[in-house]
Amino acid sequence: MSLLDIAHIDTAYGAISVNRDVSLSVGEGEIATILGPNGAGKTTLLRAICGVVKPKRGAILVSGRDMTRLPPDKLAKAGVVMVPEGRRIFADLTVRENLRLGAYAREDREAIEADIRRMEYYFPVLAQKRDQKGGALSGGQQQMLAIARGLMARPRLLLLDEPSLGLSPLMVKEVQSVIADLRKNFGAAVLLVEQNASLALAVAERGYLMQSGRIVAANAIAELRDSRLMRDLYLGAGKSRLGEAAAPN
Amino acid sequence: MEIFLQQLINSLSVASVIILIGIGITLIFGLTGIINFAHGEFLMIGGMTTWLVVSHGGGFLLGAAAAVAVVGALGFVLERSLFRLTLDRPMNGFIISLGLIVVLQHVVIRFWNSYQKAIPQPLASVWEIGGVRIVAMRAAVVLITAVVVAITFFAISRSRYGLALRASVADQETAALMGVPVRRYITGVFIYGSALAGLGGAMMIALFPITPFIGSVIVVRGFAVALIGGLGNVAGAVLAGLVLGLMDGLSAGYGLPEWTEAYSFALMILILLLRPQGLLGGTAGPKAI
Ligand SMILES: Nc1ncnc2c1ncn2[C@@H]1O[C@H](COP(=O)(O)OP(=O)(O)OP(=O)(O)O)[C@@H](O)[C@H]1O
Ligand SMILES: [Mg+2]
Repeated sequence: MSLLDIAHIDTAYGAISVNRDVSLSVGEGEIATILGPNGAGKTTLLRAICGVVKPKRGAILVSGRDMTRLPPDKLAKAGVVMVPEGRRIFADLTVRENLRLGAYAREDREAIEADIRRMEYYFPVLAQKRDQKGGALSGGQQQMLAIARGLMARPRLLLLDEPSLGLSPLMVKEVQSVIADLRKNFGAAVLLVEQNASLALAVAERGYLMQSGRIVAANAIAELRDSRLMRDLYLGAGKSRLGEAAAPN
Repeated sequence: MEIFLQQLINSLSVASVIILIGIGITLIFGLTGIINFAHGEFLMIGGMTTWLVVSHGGGFLLGAAAAVAVVGALGFVLERSLFRLTLDRPMNGFIISLGLIVVLQHVVIRFWNSYQKAIPQPLASVWEIGGVRIVAMRAAVVLITAVVVAITFFAISRSRYGLALRASVADQETAALMGVPVRRYITGVFIYGSALAGLGGAMMIALFPITPFIGSVIVVRGFAVALIGGLGNVAGAVLAGLVLGLMDGLSAGYGLPEWTEAYSFALMILILLLRPQGLLGGTAGPKAI
């Protein structure tokens, strides 16, 4: 029994089916990644895990407890929290209010202010901008806020959907080191979806490859990196993101 | 000048009722995208509940409490049944609320006929301050509304619930991901908005006799206030209610009183031409998922 077990999940938007027979697990404190091309169904799978999309079939277990088809707030309470694609910061709320909202599901209210200070310590820019509106932050700052907001829930599992999207190379590096340290600093396991394969391969211990809604490969990250499928996916098209990223920068 | 002040206080009391309705309309729209056209009928039912209690020997306060409870419960039941079916399609919510107008009116007429109902003035005294005659009941209505508005503001801007509400209005899905039980907030906002309409009905019948048809007049006003202030914006609804109230007072005192309605609609059109998003800016409804 892992922290998260999903078994034979099918998802669909109306009549259009997306994920088919997806099974995967994430262990306590583990960093796992799902790689795959645009439109493969990665975001949809994450949305199904945290209850935004109701799966047509299959089961979602958190520490062995069946959480299939429960609403997102129940999953947040159980410690499964998503940092959504595109960050989705509350633009009209201040940075502090965004953080405080992240803690909504928590029972231990008295510890929230201390955790806000902790986030401001790890992400100093959030302390600088604490009373500004979330919408006034840059893309990279918003990504830090989105991660910190997710961490305010004290998640056991943080689902990160393309945290490096649209960030400068320098910011990407910073996001990478934040993810790599999530377990150490916050005790959270991570399920990471990334287009930036080099980032994902660098931080994750376990990887899943998704294509057309299905998991086509699952392995420890070192094996996955060297697999033929990976090569086909990321090197086949001639210009590879893996190759790009592997170049020294 | 005395006449003007008198008119002003009178129109403020009517504006208060409109503001209570406007807050309900704007809150419900902000979170669900539904414009509840039956909100005026909710007020009417609040007034009728007060009348029933008072005419059976209960006091006004008991009547007002009953109005708040009955209309709040009505909002709860309707949200959990009819409106719940419309959350994915706010357009259906318009149709349902239009249908509700007919149903609620006719239920009341069926059991208690369509004649005008009145109760004795709960506060009969009239104060005279520097030549200005202030009807105590009207002052009480303004005061109660001010308190309700202050509590609403405080709750929205300061409390944990208000924070979650503002987040849900901006982006329901992300709020839910952070653990906010958005469905429960929708129910809560329906109950709160409905309860305010019930309170408005109690205060209305304390000021004037009402008929089962009062709802349509009131909802048009309430809707105008919500729209002028910026749909979804509570502060905007309060401001717009005050502006319209002032307009009423001025036109009744100095212009041609029979044109009162026309003045306020002209003002509404003018404001919306200049600021389509309303005085303080509204939301476009909940973010599409
Ligand atoms: N809300 C929606 N309604 C209908 N179809 C959708 C919706 N969201 C996504 N889809 C479709 O589902 C499929 C999978 O989308 P999804 O967003 O899960 O892909 P993804 O792997 O996250 O892609 P990307 O890497 O571009 O983010 C796509 O074909 C997409 O068009
Ligand atoms: Mg995606």
